[in-house]
Amino acid sequence: MALLDVKNLHVEFTTYGGIVHAVRGVDFSVDEGETLAIVGESGCGKSVTVQSIMGLIPMPPGRITQGTAHLRGHDIIQSKIIDGKDIRGNFVGMIFQDPMTSLNPTMTIGAQIAEPLEVHRGHSHRDAMKRATELLDMVQIPEAAKRARQYPFEFSGGMLQRAMIAMAIACEPLVLMADEPSTALDVTIQAQILDLVKSIQKETGMAIILITHDLGVVARLADTVSVMYAGEVMEAGSVDDVFYRSAHPYTLGLKEAMPTNQTGRSRQLKPIDGSPPDLFSPPKGCSYAARCPHTMEVCLENNPNAFAMQEGHQAKCWLHHEECEVAAEDLYQA
Amino acid sequence: MAWYTVKRLIQGIITVWFIATATFWAMHQVPGDPFIGEKAVSPEVEANLKARWGLDKPPLEQYWIFMRNMGQGDFGISFAQESRSVNDIILERFPVSAILGILAIVFAGLGGVLYGALTALYRNQWPDVLIILLVIIGISVPSFVFASVGQLVLVIINQILGFNVLPVAGWGDISHMLIPALVLGLGTMAFLTRLMRSSMLEIVSADFIRTARSKGVPSAQVFSRHQLRNAVLPVITVLGPSVASITTGGFVVENIFGIPGLGQSFVLAVQQSDYGVIMGTTVFYGAFLVLMVIIVDLLYAWIDPRVRLE
Repeated sequence: MALLDVKNLHVEFTTYGGIVHAVRGVDFSVDEGETLAIVGESGCGKSVTVQSIMGLIPMPPGRITQGTAHLRGHDIIQSKIIDGKDIRGNFVGMIFQDPMTSLNPTMTIGAQIAEPLEVHRGHSHRDAMKRATELLDMVQIPEAAKRARQYPFEFSGGMLQRAMIAMAIACEPLVLMADEPSTALDVTIQAQILDLVKSIQKETGMAIILITHDLGVVARLADTVSVMYAGEVMEAGSVDDVFYRSAHPYTLGLKEAMPTNQTGRSRQLKPIDGSPPDLFSPPKGCSYAARCPHTMEVCLENNPNAFAMQEGHQAKCWLHHEECEVAAEDLYQA
Repeated sequence: MAWYTVKRLIQGIITVWFIATATFWAMHQVPGDPFIGEKAVSPEVEANLKARWGLDKPPLEQYWIFMRNMGQGDFGISFAQESRSVNDIILERFPVSAILGILAIVFAGLGGVLYGALTALYRNQWPDVLIILLVIIGISVPSFVFASVGQLVLVIINQILGFNVLPVAGWGDISHMLIPALVLGLGTMAFLTRLMRSSMLEIVSADFIRTARSKGVPSAQVFSRHQLRNAVLPVITVLGPSVASITTGGFVVENIFGIPGLGQSFVLAVQQSDYGVIMGTTVFYGAFLVLMVIIVDLLYAWIDPRVRLE
């Protein structure tokens, strides 16, 4: 059994304009020491997926209508409590996108790192602060003791994200959920932060769920990838499978839309035409059909199931149906 | 911080000097003088009195004399109240106004924060709607109406019950203070409630609240440690100006409830053209307000570490 196993998750939001079907049947799982990357463009539901599992989306207007999530076999949709303990900050740590706004401006960095230790481990404030200083040291913040007494506005963006990481790993969680941890940072700091996360994973053996839209980050950090589009997982598999044996037209589109450092016409950036479907009334068929270069009749009417390519690699595309005349192998070449 | 305080105090002194000067000249432009009362005095007596108190000197000279005395902390004497010194009057009456004002500020501050937090917690549910309705009334109805209505209601309650639950007017113990302080603080309380509500609603969707919840912090602690402290910042900002509105509101409320505070004697002094008392109370109130604003600014820096005072 996987460490964290999510099946058929559906999340909806009630708004003035109607019901937004933000997440529509997402499956994923992650094991100890493993890194799962969830990639996709803005608004595809990747943040909502993890935040809804953690009970961090406001309900109402949001609600989980279907699906299960199990952490070590315990259901965590109904209750965030396992054996009388809140899983959040304890078994599952989280890092968010914008470290500048994600920390309380009127609390010292040290006190914020110490907080989960006080809440979950019953540490005294004094002990928790001491541990917070050690954690700051661990995330390579110089003069940790002095820094622990400072406020967020006295830190740079990269250092704030390090502090966020220290906070998330304070209780040695089983899973670290990183919601675009490097998006708000400049490129050199991004690399430092990702390396830091990776080295901590090596030490503690925690699982990481990494949400990003940066395929470079995925290649650097992840073991497995789920490609999300319009609230669904389009393709999932190991990094090698998804990157080198892409089985879904959307994954191919994403790869072609990635800038490279080579010159020449063949290396031109190719955007995916069109825009994602309206999630107030998601299409009946495949949600990518309107933008897909391989659209067939069946795509418009029926939403495909996930077809298994090989062990652990699957794609939600009719091209892989056995009766499909277009050879799926053509896709791999692109 | 120390240098900032010194700088603010110097600015404050300049402000107070400006208030004193403006009041002095405005006061002398008003027709009449302290000796035109109901009892007419003969021209000889009037001339004698004026000479006695230096009112026959040219205004500019009077101004210099006044400024010099004020610099030494001496506001002169009252012409209307049996030649008592203005300092005496302030010393006797200010504590009464101060108690009333502090009570009103406490009512307004605690009430505003509490009701504001409540409305935000029960957003768009009945407690929110009810409190916001009361807030609109509180902001739009002036304090003298509340004072009169409050007195009337108190009279009716006392009559129905047949004994004095709370006294209708006058001054003495805590029972005399409650209703006037409530009336005085009501407008500010309404204003602070509205401010607190919008501030709470803004903070509730802040990223750092989500972070706190992602750490598994219990909701009561998220509320007190993360939400309230940040939401209360704008409320503290307006506390300084609120002191001003409560002070001026005090003039009216003290008169209606017959409270022997400084506000009451100020109103009386203006009616009697009692130069010394007008100047003394105005300058005193001015200095008091300036000091309050400085204190609130220092308090703000203490609560919000981002505020650096330089």
